[in-house]
Amino acid sequence: MAGKARLSTRMVRYRWLFVLLLPGLAYFAIFKYAPMYGLTIAFQDYLPFLGFSGSPWVGFKHFADLFSSPDFPRVLSNTLILALLSMVFVFPAPIVVALLLNEIRLSVLKRAIQSAIYIPYFLSWTIVAALTYLLFALDTGPITQLMNNIFNQRFDFLADPDWFRPLVIAQTLWKEVGWGTIIYLAALAGVDPNLYEAARIDGANRWKQMWHVTLPGIRSTIIVVAILSAGNLLDTGFERIYLLTNSLNRSVAEVFDTYVYFLGITQGSYSYSTAVGLFKAVVGIVLIYSVNWLARRFGHSGLY
Amino acid sequence: MKPFKRLTAVVGAMAMALPLALVACSSKAEEKADPADLATLTVMIPLLAADAAAPAVDGEVHKAVEAFTGKKLQATWVPNSNYGDRMNVTLASDNLPEVMVVQGKLPAFVQSAEAGAFWNLTGKLDAYPNLKAENKQIELNSSINGQVYGIYRRRDPMRAAVIVRKDWLTKLGLSMPQTVDDLYRIAKAFTENDPDGNGKKDTYGLTIPKWPGVYATASPYDVIETWFGAPNGWGERNGKLVPGFDTPEFLEANRFVKKMLTEGLINPDFATLDSAKWDQQFFTGKGGIIVDVSSRASVLTRLFKEKDAATYTNFVDLTGNLTGPDGKKRSYPTIGYNGFLAISKQSVPTEAELKDVLTTLDKLSSKQGQILLNNGFEGKNFKVQEGYAVGQNATDPAMKTITNDVMSYAQLGTASNGYLAYVSLPAGQFEKEQYEKRVKFHKADEASAVHNPAQAIVSKTQVAKGAQLDQIIADARVKFLAGQLDEAGLKAEIQRWYSQGGQDIVNEMNQQYAKVKK
Repeated sequence: MAGKARLSTRMVRYRWLFVLLLPGLAYFAIFKYAPMYGLTIAFQDYLPFLGFSGSPWVGFKHFADLFSSPDFPRVLSNTLILALLSMVFVFPAPIVVALLLNEIRLSVLKRAIQSAIYIPYFLSWTIVAALTYLLFALDTGPITQLMNNIFNQRFDFLADPDWFRPLVIAQTLWKEVGWGTIIYLAALAGVDPNLYEAARIDGANRWKQMWHVTLPGIRSTIIVVAILSAGNLLDTGFERIYLLTNSLNRSVAEVFDTYVYFLGITQGSYSYSTAVGLFKAVVGIVLIYSVNWLARRFGHSGLY
Repeated sequence: MKPFKRLTAVVGAMAMALPLALVACSSKAEEKADPADLATLTVMIPLLAADAAAPAVDGEVHKAVEAFTGKKLQATWVPNSNYGDRMNVTLASDNLPEVMVVQGKLPAFVQSAEAGAFWNLTGKLDAYPNLKAENKQIELNSSINGQVYGIYRRRDPMRAAVIVRKDWLTKLGLSMPQTVDDLYRIAKAFTENDPDGNGKKDTYGLTIPKWPGVYATASPYDVIETWFGAPNGWGERNGKLVPGFDTPEFLEANRFVKKMLTEGLINPDFATLDSAKWDQQFFTGKGGIIVDVSSRASVLTRLFKEKDAATYTNFVDLTGNLTGPDGKKRSYPTIGYNGFLAISKQSVPTEAELKDVLTTLDKLSSKQGQILLNNGFEGKNFKVQEGYAVGQNATDPAMKTITNDVMSYAQLGTASNGYLAYVSLPAGQFEKEQYEKRVKFHKADEASAVHNPAQAIVSKTQVAKGAQLDQIIADARVKFLAGQLDEAGLKAEIQRWYSQGGQDIVNEMNQQYAKVKK
């Protein structure tokens, strides 16, 4: 009871601060929490005409359908493989680039490189896909011709299922690595210069300085980014996948995001596609909690 | 300190008022329009031109439509690109327009119609002289299991054509194809005999782009399969409906396409070529043949004309459907309609009001109404010449507005009683001859059209899973052609179609088919 009383006194004393909190709360309530009511259609046979209240309830039917669907193993493994690949290749790439940039002494050169690698982030996926089609077109794309000449065989990057994942990862790297370095560069700027000086006096070369001073200095940033990106692990992205998909590579290209679009928008199975989306979100939450737990387990502070 | 305090108070008050304002908004939106308002017709129409603005309410065309029908017109123009999404949202709201353009038997529409959201017009339309269907087969095609839920919007019943580089034919001393064997021979000559005379083997015969649709969506594959005798989507074999891809003719046709592919007579990137580049391949002299709708020939002719107006007549020739390997001609028709106008039961609750709405639509479909919706005002923005409409005063901005508005209002027209307005006069003598040739061979092809007997039938499983299942077939077909699957693999994929729900579709289709046929 005592705690409660204290809260109410605090509320009276800081009333204007609480008032200031209201717009933020309203934002989350209206735009984030209220729409979650729509998730109920995952447990209904939803018909737009009948609406939320009129559509019949079917319990876990759509989830049962999903798990027993012949598409499920394929879509799940495609999603997981892409997620794993981006964990291995896309996640560390900005760290490496940031470290490299950090070693550049000439600040004009550093800034020029930074600006150049930020630009792709502002292009839409449609443009990136169009560039990819241009560069990797069968027989006529410049990169295809180059590769054909070097390896003396005929590459079909756009249609060959084996090349789908490398292309998607390469696209993502090109587009997003530069932008991803920003947070690490900020963290690098915060590393105490005295530590470098001390390390140099102890005889550390640049490699050792990086290993023993720089990396520990930005470790907490890396962990926070890792936890946050774990939640988005299954968000393989819709456009970049959809725009590269064709009949020949669909077997490796179909992921949850495109599957939901295909079922929900093209086929009008709103309830089923909502169930798929909800499943994906639950996996995302589980991943956030487990990575956070792991981080704390290894003695770091974690996200919360 | 004091002014700051006042400011926080204002912000706080605003923050508190915000949710209230939102609540106020939403309760207002729930208010229904007066349904008994007979004087107003509310419609929802797709706006096709992406760059054009929706017709203005005080525009001349809008006013003329209102004067002609004697109704106040309240049109909601929705950009075509997200018309489907918007239709779904509208179906879920409780504020449906009286008349809605529906762009086909989309799952959400079928489910809503069957749940009673729209008037069942079966047998009702014949009482209206201008809504009585010109072609009962198409009216049936547009129905849901024989129940007509909308007035179909007519489109040309035949559009398939083979478009060939005329200059290449001339150079190699060949003539236009009549049969699929001719098609093969010409494609082979186009690939191997250097039709562009540059001394390099850098051309091929047929261009096929990445096809966005699934099975039976008027792709070049679908058209060629029909020529070989495969059913158009569904076919009747031994009194039962079977899916077109489970027939020997389907396989034979695809063996033919595969043979052309392996011999290099078709562009090797057929699975990935952007369909926006389809014309470019023809125009720049890479591929010499296109199997598509005949109107593509006009687009190509215009490209050549823009490049060189003196010689443009030498490049594009076209013909209709080709004769199959057995010497029999089978033509690939369109479904004959492009969506329909459906009438909401919620906004038009009584039979008397329905009658009133139908009378208005009947007026719009009369000859005079069709000319207003498709051409505009005779003597003002167009004149009639040799039975064609010719635009005039095109530089006058007011006339431009009329012409643009008319293009939008044409979407409201149905012409299910036949197209009675004027066709616009092709740009030159050559284009006019080309157009007349098109009309002629389309008319001739109608006699050998292979219709889809299951067009009217909607099966529950088809609605729920059809797109997903038909993707299996479309992918398997491309994989077979690309060599990723052999014939056994293709057949296995067809079996997969059956086992993942296709068998249910076949059973349901046959049940409904027996009912509708009666």
